[in-house]
Amino acid sequence: MDSLIFLIIAGGASAVGLYMAWSIGSNDVANSMATSVGSKALTFRQAVIVAGILTVCGAIFVGAHVTETVKSGIIVKEILCVANPTIVMLGFFSSLLAAAIWVTLSTWKEMPISTTHSIIGALVGFGLITWGTTCVNWEKLGFVASSWVLSPIVGCIIAFFVFKIIVKLIFAKEEPVKSAKIVGPFIIGTTAFLIVSALLLKTQLSEILGITEIPQIIFISLIALIIVSIISVFLLRKIEAKSLEDYAAVEGIFKKLQIITACYVAFAHGANDVANAIGPVAGIMDIAVTGTISVTAEIPYWLLAIGGVGIAIGCLTWGRRVMRTVGGKITSLTNSRGFSVEFAAATTVLAASKLGLPVSTSHTVVGAVIGVGLARGLEAVDVSVVRKIVISWLLTVPVAAATSAAIFILMTAIVL
Amino acid sequence: MVEKKDHFRAPVSYTFRRKSPFDQLLDHMGKVRECIDILGKELIKYYEGDYKNFSDIARRVSEIEHEADMIKRNLRNHLPNSLFMPVDKGKFMWALREQDKILDHAENLAKMLDMRHTKIPNELQNVFIDHAKLVTKTVDAMEDAVENIRDLVETSFVKREREQTKLLIRKVHEFEWKADEKKYEMTKGIYGLEKKLDSMDVYHLLKIADWVDDIADHAENVADWLRSMIAR
Repeated sequence: MDSLIFLIIAGGASAVGLYMAWSIGSNDVANSMATSVGSKALTFRQAVIVAGILTVCGAIFVGAHVTETVKSGIIVKEILCVANPTIVMLGFFSSLLAAAIWVTLSTWKEMPISTTHSIIGALVGFGLITWGTTCVNWEKLGFVASSWVLSPIVGCIIAFFVFKIIVKLIFAKEEPVKSAKIVGPFIIGTTAFLIVSALLLKTQLSEILGITEIPQIIFISLIALIIVSIISVFLLRKIEAKSLEDYAAVEGIFKKLQIITACYVAFAHGANDVANAIGPVAGIMDIAVTGTISVTAEIPYWLLAIGGVGIAIGCLTWGRRVMRTVGGKITSLTNSRGFSVEFAAATTVLAASKLGLPVSTSHTVVGAVIGVGLARGLEAVDVSVVRKIVISWLLTVPVAAATSAAIFILMTAIVL
Repeated sequence: MVEKKDHFRAPVSYTFRRKSPFDQLLDHMGKVRECIDILGKELIKYYEGDYKNFSDIARRVSEIEHEADMIKRNLRNHLPNSLFMPVDKGKFMWALREQDKILDHAENLAKMLDMRHTKIPNELQNVFIDHAKLVTKTVDAMEDAVENIRDLVETSFVKREREQTKLLIRKVHEFEWKADEKKYEMTKGIYGLEKKLDSMDVYHLLKIADWVDDIADHAENVADWLRSMIAR
């Protein structure tokens, strides 16, 4: 009987996990890619392809850190390890389901909540109802929750300075186009540097390649910086200024550069958000396969890949529609602004992923947009969204926790 | 395409607006341009004693004024406190308000001229025409200055673009001053002919001088608000 239940739960968990991944792909990816579509750096078709491929890459190569946090960072390990495996499985399942329901509900009600926050809230709810307040790793939870507030702020600050630098080094110069051709490749090289170092810093890939020393990683990333810079110098050489104030040509340069930052965003998004769908599933699969709870077990790569693919499918099926709608709404974003937003948001999210912090990509993007607005880069930014986001912060954890607890009670009543 | 209600959680899109306030200001300015282009030409014809089609022109000016009013109202009604703009919202609204006044005065002028066809004395015709041309030039210069908002916003108000805008604003002042001088010349001319002319004619001629000059005054006000908008 046990094995049958295990099978049902494992299957069910995978299904709900896939559903969660799908909803992340269809909705959250659109939020992070919308800036590329809105500023016309990519057509929405290209955005779907870029998001599909790079989200999977980010999920597989960098996603494990955050998944670990979602899987077993929120509930105290000592309690989780000695608990009844069935209870833990049911708990993870309820959390996943509760988070998925809340996400769907918020999508319908158009509330700007985050899938990340939902899953964490749901896990807390399950922990509280089962073991009481002592089981929640409050310190870790506090750390995670503070990262939710910090990530948009950091995104905002980085975007502010990136845009200020662009203004200072390009727009304020006598020949903006000429300056853009010099500065652009360097910034894009920096992006390549960050992506490559993220790929190699404490990941499976670096162990396979045998590159684990920090100086080595920096050296390889620097090579990537130089190569990418040279390639972009080569690609940008054809753009000539028609006049001294040919800002369209400057934007044209950023349009090309933005292709890289769009990839960067998709990559960072995959790295961070795959955990929302896969974390609990990984926990369940672990128990279903071994029969015991092992906190330290590696997240299997095929699971990350499934999560990534789930996101990619969501992106391909529904994401294109969402992307077109959202992208169409933000057409006032020009390429230099889109570039600043994407660079800032992706850097923040990727850094959070490296720290094992599940943050909200879309909230960080909003923070970055406001940052550019504060740098006098946008014609109008509606900051009322901040209030909505704060409400969603306050609402998501309790609601997801309560739902998760309710589902858990219901499940145990049925199963046990 | 039919507007469908889509249910997405899309925080990013909430921060943006379908139409930027600056675009709308420029749209409104486009109406001013359209109106003054027509009126400037027709005014000279009127001064030369050609009143044919003037009623149509007055109607057209009134229509344009109405269209611009809708843009203005739309813009003003959708500028919530939560909207963050790179320039002072109050100053922005004042610029818009003054720009709209140009159209109000243009409409008033057209209607009043149409109500009573006043013959401009031959001695004064040239001065009147010169004045009309100067007023048109003032508005044209203002349009150039407002148009430069595009570059200002694009470069996030860098010094070079601000200096350029200031230069354009200075031109507005110059033309407005010249138009004022012309107006005094006109008024002097009218007083000089007061014995010869019918008193109602004198009244209307003085009024015309004022009405036309009002347009230049408000164009200058737009430039002034623009100047204060871009001040550091």
